[in-house]
Amino acid sequence: MIIKLDKIKVQSRKAEEAIDITPQVDESVAKSGVKNGLVNVMTCHTSSGLLVTEGLPCLEEDILTHFARLLPEDENYHHRRYLDFDGRVGFNAETHLKSILGGIQCSFPIENGKIVRGSRQTIYFMEYDGPLERTYMVQVLGE
Amino acid sequence: MIDFHTHPVLIREFAEKYPDYTRMAREVFQIGNNLQPLETFFLQMDVAGIERAVLLPVACARARGLAVSSNEQVTELCGISSRFIGFASVDPLQPGAAKELEAAIRGLGLKGLKLDAALQDFDLNDPKVFDLYEAAAALGIPVLIHTGMSWAPGTPLDRGRPLLLEPAIARFPRLNFVLAHWGWPWVWDANALALKYPNVYVDTSCFYYDGPTEFFQFHFQQQMPVTLLERSLRNQIVFGSNYPRVEIKNMVKAIKSIGLTDGCLEKILRTNAEKLLGLSPVKH
Repeated sequence: MIIKLDKIKVQSRKAEEAIDITPQVDESVAKSGVKNGLVNVMTCHTSSGLLVTEGLPCLEEDILTHFARLLPEDENYHHRRYLDFDGRVGFNAETHLKSILGGIQCSFPIENGKIVRGSRQTIYFMEYDGPLERTYMVQVLGE
Repeated sequence: MIDFHTHPVLIREFAEKYPDYTRMAREVFQIGNNLQPLETFFLQMDVAGIERAVLLPVACARARGLAVSSNEQVTELCGISSRFIGFASVDPLQPGAAKELEAAIRGLGLKGLKLDAALQDFDLNDPKVFDLYEAAAALGIPVLIHTGMSWAPGTPLDRGRPLLLEPAIARFPRLNFVLAHWGWPWVWDANALALKYPNVYVDTSCFYYDGPTEFFQFHFQQQMPVTLLERSLRNQIVFGSNYPRVEIKNMVKAIKSIGLTDGCLEKILRTNAEKLLGLSPVKH
C-alpha cells in the first residue's frame, strides 16, 4: 500500500476565481507510483473550495455569479462580529458558505497509473475570498 | 488611490528572514491570518484599485518586547517597490528619539512618524513626546497617531482618547496630525478636533463590528451626517484600510457606499494623502 501526500500552493489573483488544477493533480498521481487506487483532493481553507465541472470559462463565471446570488454579501450573517482571538472582524460569512455549498474536496479512482476521469471533468480550486496564497492537499492511496 | 494605513506584519519572506517576526504578528500585533508572500500584498492593492500604500511600523520593543516591524524592515520594503510609502516609528521615551527620527527620515527616506501611545506605553502629554513633535515639525513630516480602540493585547482604551492630543495639536499648528481609526469609538471627539484645528486629519481605518459597509453606513450616515464629511471635513480625511486586519477591497467598497460625491471621494482616496505626503500640490 502506497500513501503519498502533496501540499500544493496556489496564488489566487482575484477576489473570486476558479483555478484549473487538473494538471497538478495528474502530476501528483503520476509521481506517486500508484498504479491502482484513489486520489483525494482537498482545500486547506474554509473560504475556498474544490469542485469538478466542465472546464469552460462560461461555467466558471456562472458558478461564481450564482453563488453570489445565493449568498449575497449584504445578508444578515451572525459571523459579522469582533473576533478578539483573530485580531479582526469575521465579516466573510458568505465566503465560508460558498465553500460549503460548492464543497471542499473531490476523489477519483486511479487505474494503470492515471486518474479515471470523464472527458469533460476539470478539477477547480475555487477562491471565494482572494487574492491569497492558498494550499490544497492531494493524497494518493493505492498500490 | 492611496491607502494611508497598512501594517506589513504577515509577509512570509520576512518571517523566513527575521526570527521574531511571526511571534510579533501573533503575540504583539495579534493577528491570526496566515502569512502571505509579498505578492499577495500587491494583489490585494490591485483588486482594491490602490496604487500606493503607507506602511506603518510601531516601535514598541520597550513596552512589548518586540517592535511591530522596524524602520529598517519598512525601508527594505520601500526599496522593493515604489508602491510603498514608509513611515518611521521611534520610542519617544528613549534617549535620542528625535535624532533617531531625523535619521529615519533623512537617512532612510521614510515619510512620516507613526506613534501608538497604548502599544508603546507612553503618556501622550509627556514632555519627551513634545520634543518628538518638535522634531517632526522641523522635518516637515506628518504624524499618524493611533486613536481609539486597539486590537493589540494589553493596550488600555484610555490611551486612545483623541482629546488627549489637543495640547500637542494646539501647540504645533504647522505639524499635521492624522488621527488613525477616526478615533473610534470617540468619533465625535475626532470630528471636533478636525473641525477646530486645520492641522488635524482623520483616517478611515475604523472597523470593529458588522461588515465594513454596514459599519461605514452606520457611522457615516446615521451616527454623523455624511454632509459633515462632504462639506466640512473633505480636505482632512484620508483613506486607510488597516490591512491586514481587513482586506483593502472591502474598505474601498465601504467608503464608496456612503453617498459621497466623486470630488469628495477623490480627496479622501488620493489628493489629501498626496498633500500630506508632499507628493503633489493640491488646490482647494
